[in-house]
Amino acid sequence: MHETTTEQGRARGAGQAIGVDLDPARRPGVPRMHAPERLPHTRFPPEQQQSRTTVFMHRRPHKSFPPVFGTAVPPKGVSGLVRRAAYRYPDHHMRHWTMLLLADRVDAWEHRARKALKLAAPALGAIFAVRAGIRAFAR
Amino acid sequence: MKALSYEGPARVSVRNKPDPRIEHPQDAVLRVTCAAICGSDLHLLHGLVPDTRIGSTFGHEIVGVVEEAGPQADGVEKGDRLMVPFNISCGGCYYCERGLTACCENTNPSSDVACGVYGYSHTTGGYDGGQAEYVRVPFAAVGPMKVPDDMSDEDVIALTDAFPTGYQAAEMCNLSGGETVVVFGAGPVGLYAMKSAWLLGAGRVVAVDKVGYRLDFARRWAGAETLDFEKVDVITAVKDMTEGRGADACIDAVGCEAAGSPMQRAAGIYAKMVAGSAAALNWCFHATRKGGTVSVVGVYGPPYNLVDFGTAMNKCQTIRTGQCSVRRYMPHLLEHIRSGRVDAKALITHRYPLDKASEAYHTFAQKQDGCIKPILLPHGRTLH
Repeated sequence: MHETTTEQGRARGAGQAIGVDLDPARRPGVPRMHAPERLPHTRFPPEQQQSRTTVFMHRRPHKSFPPVFGTAVPPKGVSGLVRRAAYRYPDHHMRHWTMLLLADRVDAWEHRARKALKLAAPALGAIFAVRAGIRAFAR
Repeated sequence: MKALSYEGPARVSVRNKPDPRIEHPQDAVLRVTCAAICGSDLHLLHGLVPDTRIGSTFGHEIVGVVEEAGPQADGVEKGDRLMVPFNISCGGCYYCERGLTACCENTNPSSDVACGVYGYSHTTGGYDGGQAEYVRVPFAAVGPMKVPDDMSDEDVIALTDAFPTGYQAAEMCNLSGGETVVVFGAGPVGLYAMKSAWLLGAGRVVAVDKVGYRLDFARRWAGAETLDFEKVDVITAVKDMTEGRGADACIDAVGCEAAGSPMQRAAGIYAKMVAGSAAALNWCFHATRKGGTVSVVGVYGPPYNLVDFGTAMNKCQTIRTGQCSVRRYMPHLLEHIRSGRVDAKALITHRYPLDKASEAYHTFAQKQDGCIKPILLPHGRTLH
């Protein structure tokens, strides 16, 4: 037997505002695409954003660079090279996405390596200093 | 400024980053007063969305106060309190003019599959999100809406994503009155979908999940019947409830991290051979009657999934889906909240300062402590 709250069944939707938007005219998404009308305060076409950062665009033929874009995390390191290669393909090519997923993993490894290096450098320095100290003392 | 920073799969921290600035004349910079964590942020956290770079700031459910407005952000002034749709939309392209602001052509160079979205990887344009002290808001006069003075941040934060998305999910079921609607997933979007199904005239609403406290909440808050898919065969149960036919409409409010199928999880979540688990979507196809509607608002990233499309095709089903075009729903749903038909604040169970963002993600992801919707308050508790 399945578990359902049959006692709720008698009072189905108790406390709910049932059918307030039953009339399709009250539904904001109907029809899905309405007659063209710009949103208030729209300035169109927008000016081109002038940010100086590396932003990749996927290479669908005839795609133009959009006027506004994000500049959150510029590509870097080996993962950046993989991303650059991935964006040579349009997003309807499987390899575009699989290369991006690979780049994400490489990015994570690079991040861990950088963190490890930050810890390793002082540790190595300390080891060399101790060894040098011991040698000097032994002489 | 302080901002959440993605540190690799399953890890986030709070770090110092440069303050955002006006990069386009139609931008504004917002001081974030309230930023919610969305279930879809967990897909980013778990490394399932391509081109999620280390150092990214998540957060696409934002309410804040304008700190600085660009010269072409008409009608937006310093001090205005705005609620910001998760879509970044120009307002004048082919799609925006027709109401589909989620499909704007002018905000995402990286892909044709979606418009720009705050804090949702470089696949959606590479914008930083609002789980930070400040955020850059492009087209600030077009997409965002001013928050009425009589409403608090917590009253309206759901209008930036979860409530419109849930409402659109129910709306896409094309209800004409009296239908049975099954909602897979009793998280915030699923709960709003249940509530919206009633508003749109459903005759019966059934929630499916495995998390007990969420099913309790669905019964209490959304007046839904509930099915725990770990205790019952959910497809059989739905068919038993509907004279063997299946529901008139099913809503997938789960997305790409669905439980319920070890094979899907092995291939999609652990091995990452495919883009997550499509178990909930496949259940929707099986639980919907022939000729019924499957409405999908759960997030699926590219490139491909193990989807049982043959079942949908053979059952003559209508599949409707889409990122929510939030802007068109905001005024209507604001009135539902204001009139008391929908108590949106009730879903907010946890409030954290920004410094505790990592703990907030952990609690939400692990579904601990009765967590339904956590919010971050980067500048402390608001006065509103």
